[in-house]
Amino acid sequence: IHLLSTAAEPWPENAALYQQLKEEQILLSDNASSLAVQAFLQMCNLPIQVVCRANAEYMSPSGKLPFIHVGNQVVSELGPIVQFVKAKGHSLSDGLDEVQKAEMKAYMELVNNMLLTAELYLQWCDDVTVEEITHPRYGSPYPWPLNRILSYQKQWEVRRKMKAIGWAGKTLEQVLEDVDQCCQALSQRLGTQPYFFNKQPTELDALVFGHLFTILTTQLTTDELSEKVKNYSNLTAFCRRIEQQYFEGHDKDNSATAAARSAKRSLLR
Amino acid sequence: LSPRSFSQAYAKFSGAPLTVNTISNSWRAPKGDVPVLISEDTVISQPAKILNFLRKQKYNADYELSAKQGADTLAYIALLEEKLLPALASIKKCLLHTFWVEAENYCSVTKPWFASRIAFPLKLYLPGKMSREALNRILLTRGGPPLCSLTEVEAQIYRDAKECLNLLSKRLGTSQFFFGHTPTTLDAFVFGFLAPIYKVCFPRVQLQEHLKQLPNLCRFCDDILTCYFRLTVSGHSPAGQDTADANLQKLTQLVNKESNLIEKMDDNLRKSPQHPPRKLTTLKLAAGGEENSPSHRLSP
Repeated sequence: IHLLSTAAEPWPENAALYQQLKEEQILLSDNASSLAVQAFLQMCNLPIQVVCRANAEYMSPSGKLPFIHVGNQVVSELGPIVQFVKAKGHSLSDGLDEVQKAEMKAYMELVNNMLLTAELYLQWCDDVTVEEITHPRYGSPYPWPLNRILSYQKQWEVRRKMKAIGWAGKTLEQVLEDVDQCCQALSQRLGTQPYFFNKQPTELDALVFGHLFTILTTQLTTDELSEKVKNYSNLTAFCRRIEQQYFEGHDKDNSATAAARSAKRSLLR
Repeated sequence: LSPRSFSQAYAKFSGAPLTVNTISNSWRAPKGDVPVLISEDTVISQPAKILNFLRKQKYNADYELSAKQGADTLAYIALLEEKLLPALASIKKCLLHTFWVEAENYCSVTKPWFASRIAFPLKLYLPGKMSREALNRILLTRGGPPLCSLTEVEAQIYRDAKECLNLLSKRLGTSQFFFGHTPTTLDAFVFGFLAPIYKVCFPRVQLQEHLKQLPNLCRFCDDILTCYFRLTVSGHSPAGQDTADANLQKLTQLVNKESNLIEKMDDNLRKSPQHPPRKLTTLKLAAGGEENSPSHRLSP
């Protein structure tokens, strides 16, 4: 990122966020990541339009979603997007001291380490979910046999990564236990505060919201995943609070609201 | 990998009477996970699991922590695993790379270890294979577009690792331990990651140079080494030269684990007919005792 030229241009009206097709294609993990970025931008008061493309994954510079197209620059994933937005003069964590910033980063790693990986595990390594949800959805915009080829290729890729990080040997039960441990930590850290760093939301709040809200509102082959989150009432209240504050009461045209609404619908075909 | 030192440190903090076995992991263990802790009949791997196991056994150094501090511990462990572990794997790869390719390192440090130990052609086969493995692991979890070349992946890994060290330093501040005056799980974990970087003796390890610019983290490592591993900073135990040598040898083996060369050495020695059989390295941790008490004072 060339920071000088980044800072020079103000945030354009036509900034766009790219993800896969909402109704038929997008999976749990990508939906969570997309929602996290949308929440972050909403919190920064930066307008963004959600654009759905079947080949969004291939358009992304890093292969990961979502990515944003702002001016003539393309940035993918929450971390780099936060930095990019900061270069343009917007930040949610400037008010934090050094120790709080360290803590924020640590908790963001926890979410990536446990929640995101658990989502990936569920959708690519749990046979029932793979068969009933993932395979039908992932390649759905494409004709047979391309749809199956793409899907198997992706599955192979993800399983390779799972092996590398030691998750391939886990059972679903163990994965759900990890999710529970993560939720417990988040719940304890949040306590009775409205946001993780009290009065103002930060990128951590956006990230946690993206994942928890998606888990809570996505119908899978089993309710076990969402039940883990529901065990912690302050976390569900947290999700409701952010949804009301940043996603409701906006234009019907606002793609963020649309995304939140469609996330409520079943992802089960 | 380095988390071995964490388990030993943790067990020392909480007084758990456990025997820690170092186990050759590169060719036989299916997952290659270390450290492995053996308690009675259960064999477990991975630091987080060891924590849970020890907690269930009620050897808990975190008894005094609040729920929030417990949550913080989990978060920081995730940070370490995500940001620092790849760098340690990369250092391992670099050590092997420099071991075979760079003449100066080979002559001054590694030749004494290997000159008479590993029979040809294992000598040529092993490090190559290990570095490919370590490399694969790094690339799988870190590489991919737009970071395609190895140097780009490594550069990102080191950037992440340096950022992680900076964050740890900020979090530690001027405190003695991460949660005040008593060491906890998090301290053991951090020590397990930092000690190998701090103490590895190969020249030109850039991450070590970065760590040495964070004096509070160095002080943290030194404190734990002197306090719980009974060594002064210069490496000598007050108990006498023999004990000092034994302790220093154990410590060197402990903190130089990155290369996995030691297990390989032991393994090859055991198999090789011309050398007397040697046991796997074991470190027995004392049960109870004043050195394991969390309220043990630091000697000035």
